[in-house]
Amino acid sequence: MKRLTWFLSALLMLSMLLASCAPAATPTAAPAEPTAAPTQAPQEEPTKAPEVQPTKELSAAEIAAALPRKETLYFNGQQWGPVVCWNPYSSSCNNAMAISQGDNARVTMFETPYLYNMLDGKQYPLLADGPWSWNDAMTEITFKIKPAARWSDGTPVTAEDVAYTWYAHVKYNTSTGASNKDYIEAIEAVDPQTVVIKAKLDADGKAVNPLIVAAYVSSNYVLQKAWTQKLEERTGGDPAKFLTDPAEDVVYSGPYHKFYTDETKVVLVRDDNYWGKDPSMWGKLPAPKYLAHVIFKDNAAGTTALKAGEVDVSQQFNSNVQDLWLKDGLPISTYLPEPPYNIGASLPTAFYNLRSYGLDQVAVRKAIAIAVDYDTIVANAMTNQSATFKQVPRSLMNPTPGEQALYDREAVKSLQWEGNDIEGAKKLLDEAGIVDTDGDGWREYNGKKLQYVATCPNGWSDWQAAIEVVAAAGKKIGIDITTNYPEWSVYQTVVTNWPLPETGYDIFMMWSAGAGPTMPWGRIRNLLSSEFAETTNNWTGNWGGYKNPEVDELIKKIPTMTDQEEIKKAYTRLVEIYLTDVPSFTLMYRPQSFHTVYEGVWTNFPHQGDGTNPPVPPLNLTDGWSIAGLYNLKLVNP
Amino acid sequence: MSKSYLRYFLNKLAWLLVTAVFAFILNFTLPRLMPGDPVAAITARIAQGMSNTTGMKEVYERYAEQFGTNKPIHEQFLIYMKNILQGNFGTSFSQYPRPVADIIRASIVWTIALQFPAIIVGWIIGNALGAMAAYLKKGFDKVLMPISIFVSNFPAFGMAIILMVIFAVNLKWFPTSGGYGYNLIPNFSWEFIWSVIVHYQLPFWSIVLIIIGGQAIGMRSMSIYELNADYVKYARFLGIKDRVIVRYVFRNAMLPQITGLALSIGTMVSGALVAEIVFSYPGLGYTMLNGVMGQDYPLISAVTLIITIMTLIANFLIEILYGIIDPRIKAAQAEEQGG
Amino acid sequence: MIHTLRQVFRSGKFVTGFVIFVSLLLIVLIYPLLVPDDPLAIIGLGTFFPPGIYVNVYDSVNVSPYTLNLPDATTKRIADKLGPKERQDMKEFLLAAGIPEEEIDIEDTAKLLDLWEKNYDPNKNIEGMTLAKMRYYQRLNNSLKGLLATEGLIVALPNAQTGQLEQVKVIEQSDYANINEVPNVRVLPLGTDNFGRDVLTELVKAAGVSLQIGFVAGLIATLIGLVLGLLAGYLGGMVDDIIMFFTNLLIVIPSFVLLILISFSIGQDKRGAITIATVIGFTSWVWTARAVRAQVLSLRNRDHVNLSRLSGHSTVYIILNDILPYIMSYVVMALILQISSGILAEAGLSILGLGPRTTEVPTLGLMMNWAMIYQAHVLGKWWAYLPVLVTIALITFSMNLMNTGLDQVFNPALRE
Repeated sequence: MKRLTWFLSALLMLSMLLASCAPAATPTAAPAEPTAAPTQAPQEEPTKAPEVQPTKELSAAEIAAALPRKETLYFNGQQWGPVVCWNPYSSSCNNAMAISQGDNARVTMFETPYLYNMLDGKQYPLLADGPWSWNDAMTEITFKIKPAARWSDGTPVTAEDVAYTWYAHVKYNTSTGASNKDYIEAIEAVDPQTVVIKAKLDADGKAVNPLIVAAYVSSNYVLQKAWTQKLEERTGGDPAKFLTDPAEDVVYSGPYHKFYTDETKVVLVRDDNYWGKDPSMWGKLPAPKYLAHVIFKDNAAGTTALKAGEVDVSQQFNSNVQDLWLKDGLPISTYLPEPPYNIGASLPTAFYNLRSYGLDQVAVRKAIAIAVDYDTIVANAMTNQSATFKQVPRSLMNPTPGEQALYDREAVKSLQWEGNDIEGAKKLLDEAGIVDTDGDGWREYNGKKLQYVATCPNGWSDWQAAIEVVAAAGKKIGIDITTNYPEWSVYQTVVTNWPLPETGYDIFMMWSAGAGPTMPWGRIRNLLSSEFAETTNNWTGNWGGYKNPEVDELIKKIPTMTDQEEIKKAYTRLVEIYLTDVPSFTLMYRPQSFHTVYEGVWTNFPHQGDGTNPPVPPLNLTDGWSIAGLYNLKLVNP
Repeated sequence: MSKSYLRYFLNKLAWLLVTAVFAFILNFTLPRLMPGDPVAAITARIAQGMSNTTGMKEVYERYAEQFGTNKPIHEQFLIYMKNILQGNFGTSFSQYPRPVADIIRASIVWTIALQFPAIIVGWIIGNALGAMAAYLKKGFDKVLMPISIFVSNFPAFGMAIILMVIFAVNLKWFPTSGGYGYNLIPNFSWEFIWSVIVHYQLPFWSIVLIIIGGQAIGMRSMSIYELNADYVKYARFLGIKDRVIVRYVFRNAMLPQITGLALSIGTMVSGALVAEIVFSYPGLGYTMLNGVMGQDYPLISAVTLIITIMTLIANFLIEILYGIIDPRIKAAQAEEQGG
Repeated sequence: MIHTLRQVFRSGKFVTGFVIFVSLLLIVLIYPLLVPDDPLAIIGLGTFFPPGIYVNVYDSVNVSPYTLNLPDATTKRIADKLGPKERQDMKEFLLAAGIPEEEIDIEDTAKLLDLWEKNYDPNKNIEGMTLAKMRYYQRLNNSLKGLLATEGLIVALPNAQTGQLEQVKVIEQSDYANINEVPNVRVLPLGTDNFGRDVLTELVKAAGVSLQIGFVAGLIATLIGLVLGLLAGYLGGMVDDIIMFFTNLLIVIPSFVLLILISFSIGQDKRGAITIATVIGFTSWVWTARAVRAQVLSLRNRDHVNLSRLSGHSTVYIILNDILPYIMSYVVMALILQISSGILAEAGLSILGLGPRTTEVPTLGLMMNWAMIYQAHVLGKWWAYLPVLVTIALITFSMNLMNTGLDQVFNPALRE
């Protein structure tokens, strides 16, 4: 027993050791040296006296060894591993709480000129002042920067910062630079407040793609020129070093910044000098002082914490989410009260390898697609967290009203199958002369048995469950489909590099784009455009190798169209071709973000019919216009 | 020490070195034999939102160059060896650009703090129970044995899940996940230390319970064996006190158990893996699993290297100690020299 | 031989273990004959249906009903929707809506419902009420509709010509169907899993597959371990050094790490159940080899072995005739242990998502893995994981119990 007590005390010592190690990573205070106060003060001065700032922050950090529950908003489902860096130029920082550029950019720490709202499809100004505008020839976008906008060091955000950010993206060939430089010629500062984005022009002098240019303003951060130059100096112009710098000293403009990170959590703290409390923007600070994200090992651990009231905003797949309020009676709710609980935005899709034997036949492709039991996929794989194809008939659009209104449903009604149509599928195959000639129970095409492998990455549970259902459908109509789940690291290298192997990847699942300012055009382009067909290193779409000149023509034209009727006609035609040719087919609808909230501490989260105008989308209260939700939060028991 | 012991020692040391070298090579090669392309995975992460294929290729080639995956494998090995000798484990693929050493430093403390006490506590309690069962027999033995067998053969994740469902989800006595309070920042305060201790309990006992069972069974057999050995009968015959005899008996029974203890150091990392996953507890096991899934060669190699070194040293020390204390091994040495 | 067996079966521990094991084996063999369903067939549209007897509603509407006038039927029906908690919640809402407390009598169902109907407004925004609570009241309100109705439910069908609904029959509140007369009744003793599969059918099949995996893995490991241990122990010298070198190498690179690496490398497409078993076998022979070697070391200088050697018998002959029989009991016990640890290893691998491919056969580990992925343990769906755990524990427990029993028989010193 003596020994036991000895070991218990050793254990205690170890834990103390641990605790004493930790302060090495003490919370960072606000930037130490605020540079000289802004030269000219436009209207009122939003920042407080800068010299008070550092000491004040430090003492706050010391007090907050425990995050007060009523000042902290907890998340899950976004951060799955420890944070690597704070460098907004890098796209591999694994820093989901602070850095995520894209159609619905995360604006907790860094900010975009505009905020995209997936619910109404509009872009609302953040750093920008008022709406942006095209020039008459539609070759240049002009917008102004808010006079009140400030960096965390107190200096104003200027047009020069926007221009230099772009310059750095191109110079160091970041992912932002690489993916936009074919469409954006230059970004220039006309004066300290005015930014001009010049589109790349084609041979006719028209913008190559005005949609992508317009999307830039809401999907990419503005970063400080002075800090960027400091970073360049530090890394000596080496692109690799530039992108891998941990950037702990980064200057930001958003309401939150780094407070603490380790292997188990990430915590951001509010900057009480945030410029956005100026009346020209939000007029106040966001409600939670801290945004915290505990790093869970899997969904189950995340759900357990949600049940325990340790998570307020859950962005993960909680299977049978309704049990949380129906069975456990917890104060938990989703954006919609009934299935599918969330707003579907992306379309996980099964692609056909059009080179596989028999899959070049439309009849075979369509027969498999209409035989699949989508209701089982929705009910079992997604536990009803997807709209059914009865509720939202299939097209190329996501289920949001904005996109659904973009095509003429009546015109393609006869093409929109709901699935589980075994007889219809058999009839289709019989009519095409694809029948079982040798009596083995499987159909042959030109004397050769139709035999396919359906696949998706291993461990992607809802996809795997869906692929199982696809395989079952094949068996019912006399086509031998087996399943196979390679590891993701193998899967991705195969699928993204044409040609696909002869077997093993006949029917395979990949994603499609969600909601964004270029959608649904961008999604349709990814799914159908021949520019991605049969290419290597293709991370975009059309992995099955579909080519159709008419589709290419429409995809090229739509971004330059202005007449709404014309656009609608073009989209309707694209849907018609897609549902006729079936180069791939949607298996389910998936939300842009899962949005499950716990109302034990905070309330007034966005939900359907919450009366906000413009409506706050359910995107974690951090992405795009959704951040407006942070300003609406209230405490349940103040 | 005697000359024969020196030979024994040198012989063991030589084998230790040879094993170390081969293990080192295996640690390097095994992860790299896995199919798939980790650089493509990094590129994929960077590619999100990228719609430009030439840009993609550039990114890919840049990283292939940086990690040296475009070089032949023997060249990669030389670079790896040079770096290791300088104490540089390289850069992680899956958590690029974090250095591997940094990742390991962050998680190894948790694994050691969880596993080391768990193994030792489990070992002590298990051996004590086993010895008691052997000595007391009858009732105690009848109850203890089946329970030990049942518990030691319970799947580790099952134990973790059941403990969690009962004590964390239903009774809410203990937290469900994490290494310390979800609302805390590590600092030196009683609140934090208490939180660490509370979070420690379920993962700790989920490991200890299984170890106890296994150790108790082993110790019980060894003790019964020794209790019935001739020297015990002889000692009893000579009228030596029972207490003295029991001390000798258990010391002898303990020896093989110590070997087991040394070797369980090697399985430490994998042993904690399940507890780490179920309780979202930070640690090396999960880090390594993530390394495997993300084909993070440098990370896998480094973790296996650490395990290898720890096991080798523990193993070596035990053998050396054995040579000193156990007369039977001394006899074997002599015999080996003879034959 | 017979004597040994008789002794073995006299050991209480062995018999207990044996009985458990054989019963499991019998269930695995007999159950599929009784319930020939495909264990992987998806029968449920939805996940985790709780255990119970599922009566086809359509069919029970169509069987001719019996009238039973049970006095407490109405009370039960009302209590099901309107328990004490619901009444209290209604009171809270009514209070918040400004109804004086003395007017609310939560015991009087009719009055309470009347008051509720007059005052409940789903769109009313009560200060401080959370969305979750508002939605709760909306659901409660919906469930109260028609609660006090005394008339029956009307079953109607659309007319083939006009499309108008026409009454087919009325189901009275006192109508009962005899379950034996309903043509479609399905018993799901352990409910369904996340795929909508019958858990019991799947579990029985999975237990069989896991046992196979255990046997294959155990046989391979024991065979390798035995051969290497015999060679190393008997031949000694260089052979011993080399074999021990490999064993040590496998000890310093823990087998579980190897197992993970290899399983990952094979890729899921090639990971059949037997492949996994083979991999487990090839990575877990080390202990057997070491133990066999130790046994052989102590045997090789025994008199009868020396005698045999002097008589000029070949090494193979000596190993087979003078050494093997003496360690056979030990090898049998090692085999049993290897089998049970093989089953555990498969389960462990599957939990990490590195187990056999999902679609052909279920295994205990895979069932566990899917239950975890769909969060059965968090949501309290015990039937999806607990029976699996118990099955694994029973198999390994019974085998180890047998092993301990054998140990006591073969090592007389261990006998009490």
